Amino acid sequence: MTLSSYLPIWPLSVSPALWLALALVIAVLVGEGLVRYLRLPRIVGYVGVGLLMGPAGLNLIPELPASEWRLLVDLALGILLFELGSKVNLRWLKANLWIAFTSLLESSATFFAVFALLLWFDVAHVTSAVVASICIATSPAIVVRTVTESRAQGQVTERLLLMTALNCIYAIICHKIAVAFMYDESGTRLIHTVLQPLYLIGGSAILGWLFGNAFNTIHLHLGRHEETFSFLLFGMIAIATIAASTLKLSPMLILLSAGLIVRYRRRRPHTFLPHFGSAGAVLVVLMFTASGLMANLSGIRDSLMMVLLLILVRTAAKLTPVLLLAKFSGISLKQGLALGIALAPMSSLTLLLTLDTAAAFPDFASGMGLILMSCIVILELVSPIMVQMALRGTGETLEGRS
Amino acid sequence: MSLMPFASSEPLSIGVELELQLLNCNDYDLVSSAPDMLRRIARKTHHGEIKPEMTRGMIEINTSIHHEYVSLVEELNSLRKTVSDAGRFLNIAVAGGGTHPFQHWSEQKIFDAPRFHYLSDLYGYLAKQFTIFGQHVHIGCPGPDEALHLLHMMSRYVPHFIALSASSPFVQGHDTGFASARLNSVFSFPLSGRAPFVLSWEDFERFFSKMTETGVVESMKDFYWDIRPKPEFGTIEVRVCDTPLTIEVAAAIACYIQSIARYIMIDQKDEPREDDYLVYTFNRFQACRFGLEGVFIDPRTHKRRTLREDIAEMLTRIADHAVELQAQGAMSQISKILDTGNGASWLRKTYSHDHNLSDMVQQQSDLWMNGQ
Repeated sequence: MTLSSYLPIWPLSVSPALWLALALVIAVLVGEGLVRYLRLPRIVGYVGVGLLMGPAGLNLIPELPASEWRLLVDLALGILLFELGSKVNLRWLKANLWIAFTSLLESSATFFAVFALLLWFDVAHVTSAVVASICIATSPAIVVRTVTESRAQGQVTERLLLMTALNCIYAIICHKIAVAFMYDESGTRLIHTVLQPLYLIGGSAILGWLFGNAFNTIHLHLGRHEETFSFLLFGMIAIATIAASTLKLSPMLILLSAGLIVRYRRRRPHTFLPHFGSAGAVLVVLMFTASGLMANLSGIRDSLMMVLLLILVRTAAKLTPVLLLAKFSGISLKQGLALGIALAPMSSLTLLLTLDTAAAFPDFASGMGLILMSCIVILELVSPIMVQMALRGTGETLEGRS
Repeated sequence: MSLMPFASSEPLSIGVELELQLLNCNDYDLVSSAPDMLRRIARKTHHGEIKPEMTRGMIEINTSIHHEYVSLVEELNSLRKTVSDAGRFLNIAVAGGGTHPFQHWSEQKIFDAPRFHYLSDLYGYLAKQFTIFGQHVHIGCPGPDEALHLLHMMSRYVPHFIALSASSPFVQGHDTGFASARLNSVFSFPLSGRAPFVLSWEDFERFFSKMTETGVVESMKDFYWDIRPKPEFGTIEVRVCDTPLTIEVAAAIACYIQSIARYIMIDQKDEPREDDYLVYTFNRFQACRFGLEGVFIDPRTHKRRTLREDIAEMLTRIADHAVELQAQGAMSQISKILDTGNGASWLRKTYSHDHNLSDMVQQQSDLWMNGQ
């Protein structure tokens, strides 16, 4: 027996996993510090620490290909989308058509404004359409997380959740259609560009309906036990993700619509724990930290102008229709301003759509994909603060204010 | 500041004020959306008045002056429709009931108006704890002395009104055991309780100016009495009722009070006595705690019976007055309450199905918004 058989060999060889674990702990600590001393949202800390320790920052954690993170993001985003859906009352749209109208206008304004901006930058039509459709979505992760954290309640909060759920649906659908055109350009028959989105929407909706009803039935009979829920939900998300890849559907659309169905068909009011329990909460923190680690800032280096303009135009395109229709839909101009600003976040849903596109089109990965990734990084750091300010400014948060 | 002169009003005319709960449609907790509701409601003309209250999870509806049950129900219905429509437009549910069963008082937000901020500064947490929901009934009086006479004679029946309207068994997430726990919050105010035993308006003015000189009060609004005179309307205001779960019951209780007032004004020749108040707080406590099952001690005969029995007997005694006032519909509502129970027992029964307070509040708001 030699010394080296039971003592570590110097220099220590540490698995990169240690740094990852450390990043998570630091992220949580920094997040708490931000809340306590600066009253800023925790997400900023999670993303910031990831960014700082990852390849884009101090490079303490070696770069992992995005596909390695995929499972984590899929799971966490699945939870958040399902959570978002279960908080949204679709029946409200029937009673207040102005909100439906605001949502449609806000989303189409975003699409066309971003599309026009990219054409002006001489980006190809189809690529511009893909990016513009991705830009429609407000980040469900940032919105749900910030609302949960600030315990916000009121007109702006509820409209923010509803309009986010809706624009995510539009974004996923528009994205598929736009991508279908991208395929078409590289030589597919027209029939497929029509059939594919139809299949996607119909298939995802049916699966979402099945999941939602199954969840409600199980919940009704099993009651509210945290662990039961977590298992149920993780199982459901795993099945949805696998079913989606087997059937070539969108797991995001399935889980969001499942959440909406749960809320729409519920017989009794029930509230769930934030992120459906502590397991979900850990995943959500991990996801934000991971998105900082994955950050690719080359877009900021190479085309800062375009990145900033994209963010600016997108935010303005969301804000203007909301402001214009505020009075009609029953909120004040101040609330409209807050709502419009709070629609700005971009995060993991955008990231997944970008990665999906990049995987199929290498040109996109090295071009507009990088621009989008940069927008995501900037907005992940800035927009949680914007959402928090919007909700605070309208007095909808519960953080010890009268 | 001296007391304003007692305005003239038509004897036995009635007006009703109801404080209502604003709820979110997710877990049915109170939501601080009174400004949104009022902004929406202000867009269209409507009957009566709709006003803010102390905290932003509350809203108050006031009827105009009425003489009979049918027209009162009609106006309350139209007010209910106005408020419910605004609520549906904003995804806010509206409900009756004297307390919200699980709101946290500390999370309530004071409505942005000088008077509410003044009260909040003065009373501190009591102001937020005042997120409770009552029904106030105004009765027109021929003159100020008659008003004080009616006020003190009416005090015998205060437990009736409490037991009939009681609909606040749950507070801060728990069953309090009370039928009306709401009044316990009122009693913590320094100037709550009964009006002083003063029978002429002259004496009352003297009492009032002595009180203002002490600096304790500025206006009649600072008294939180169970029944208080309202000189600017020429009425007395009965303030002990919880907001019932439906407007039909609210209207019926208002007309029950009206019929008793007519009985006192026309049939009862007795004068009020200070000793009538010996049993007052006992009876009132019994009504709050046990509702219709509470013990009632007659202040004159000292006979004991349940409130249900005393109310039943009162219904026969005032039957003719109710006919004169065209309040028969109201009286059958009251007997129905005696048979099937008040709001508190409805709430407890609903809660017992699956022990979920959010669920109970949802059904409570369905009941209020869609009617019986």
